[in-house]
Amino acid sequence: MDRRKMLALLGASPALVAGMPTHAETLPEVAPHPATPVLGGPITVLNPAVTPKLAERVPLAPRLNSLDGKTIYLVDTDWGGMGQNDGILQEMQAWFAQHMPGVKTIIKIKKGNFVTDDPGLWKEIAESKGNGVVLGVAG
Amino acid sequence: MSREAGEIEQTYHIPTVAAAGSNVVSFGIGPNVAYNTGMPIRYVGVPFPFSGQPRSVLKGYIEGKDTVSGRPMMQAIVDALTAPLTTDERLSGPAPDAPAAEPRILVASSEDDLQRLFREKGWTDYNPVILPTQERVAAMLRGTHHKPDEIVKSAAGTFGSRRPFTVEKVATLAVMAGAKPEYLPIILALASRVPYQDSTTSIAQMIVVNGPIRTKIGMNSGLGALGPDNEANSVIGRAMTLIHKVIQGYQEGITGFASLSNPLRYDNLCIAENEESLPDGWLPLHVQMGYKPTDSVVTIFTGWNFINSTGWVEQHYAPQFLMRDYMSSLSGMSATLLMDPSVVDLLHGVQGFQTKAMLGDWLSQNVEKTAESYWGNSIVSSMLAPLGRQGLEPYASWLKLPDKAMIKPFANARNIRTVVVGGKTASVWFATDFMPDRGTLIDAWS
Repeated sequence: MDRRKMLALLGASPALVAGMPTHAETLPEVAPHPATPVLGGPITVLNPAVTPKLAERVPLAPRLNSLDGKTIYLVDTDWGGMGQNDGILQEMQAWFAQHMPGVKTIIKIKKGNFVTDDPGLWKEIAESKGNGVVLGVAG
Repeated sequence: MSREAGEIEQTYHIPTVAAAGSNVVSFGIGPNVAYNTGMPIRYVGVPFPFSGQPRSVLKGYIEGKDTVSGRPMMQAIVDALTAPLTTDERLSGPAPDAPAAEPRILVASSEDDLQRLFREKGWTDYNPVILPTQERVAAMLRGTHHKPDEIVKSAAGTFGSRRPFTVEKVATLAVMAGAKPEYLPIILALASRVPYQDSTTSIAQMIVVNGPIRTKIGMNSGLGALGPDNEANSVIGRAMTLIHKVIQGYQEGITGFASLSNPLRYDNLCIAENEESLPDGWLPLHVQMGYKPTDSVVTIFTGWNFINSTGWVEQHYAPQFLMRDYMSSLSGMSATLLMDPSVVDLLHGVQGFQTKAMLGDWLSQNVEKTAESYWGNSIVSSMLAPLGRQGLEPYASWLKLPDKAMIKPFANARNIRTVVVGGKTASVWFATDFMPDRGTLIDAWS
């Protein structure tokens, strides 16, 4: 395809392009841009950075002495939304059954979606005497 | 995950461990503890990707190593639930080692030193910035009646962490971006809306300005409006990028993890609507949103996709047909069409769409895609499939459909919007999935 056809295809006028200069033009002298920094000597500027505030620290819950005889909830946070996490949590459950049979595991799926909270489930876990929680999996 | 784990630990005193990919872990045990939750939630790291992997691979992950500690994954989980708390994990109240307050003034021996400092601190988009001397910032502040030390917002960081910032900080960034004082009210309005949405996906923002300020400051809503051909459009868009990085504190790999990111993040697609070209019945965006025509409003859109019509409208295929075809590749959660006034002439004058809403209604009824394609979009499946499983319509019914069944993903026509922009040299348009915020009055910041 020749250049004229290509330009026409792209919506540009070959005549217009043909009339364009092919060499750099001499720039007229202009006054310095008002934002041109002043050179020489120390330069003082305002600092754009903000100072972040640290969050107040909150302690973690005391840990369990052992998982033996305990109930651990494996909670699917539904990241991915289409049962993406079921496989990993089911593999975790299988591992506990094989390697730590004294641990009872229960898989639950969080309500809402992965960005919403599910306080009802946390309360249910507490009222059901859940001893620990594994939340998973997000990426 | 940190928020949920924290709620379980704090409210019910149940030990919890979170399992996640490395980006979530990195943020969860780092900035999120320091600036958001204050709780050093215990994490284990799961190799990525895990979505779409066969069970054999997932089993390998479980039997493999925790990517955080390097220890066997399941032993790490057991330890996270049983190992006694460390001194750090027992801390309560004000955090130790608060960072020193940033000095208001920086002094350097040369311009090069300052440019290097700004780059090293991540305060730029890695194009040179205008150094914010006191004189320049003072001149910039004449663009607003708000006092320099007024706090614009406190919850400005990712997930709302506290990063209080003043009008002077915004003016400083405006100078750095190359702004004129008359742009400052728009830039302040943009700053008042931080934090902007981030994602590991290629999410981006778009800025649309409506009302009298467009012409007052010389924004381009016509020829070449989406290109690098107008000072106000370019500089205001750049200022938003600097706000995102410096005020919100976005740092790739620390507070954000956009795998590919998005080139729109250089200037955030800053445009003004070509209100003067709108035919009777086609209302400007801000008027559709409930503002007065005389209000100046900036609207921040967030989205992913930006599909070019490629060429102009053909005689034998009306513009709405190609829009319908292209929009079938969007998620269906939201759409914003950016169209040249010449396309509006055809839609309004020839095709009979008397309002923007009529076009939205037609597209809502005519855009279709298969159920499997709809649910194949991870944003849709993450956000809407769980709601469908809980009975919310139409998602509950759509989840039951065979893969090849056709659905109309834009069930709510109000989620399809139109912004008219361009110079009438080609009947072209973009189909995007951008969704707007509620708009911000610019006049409040003048």
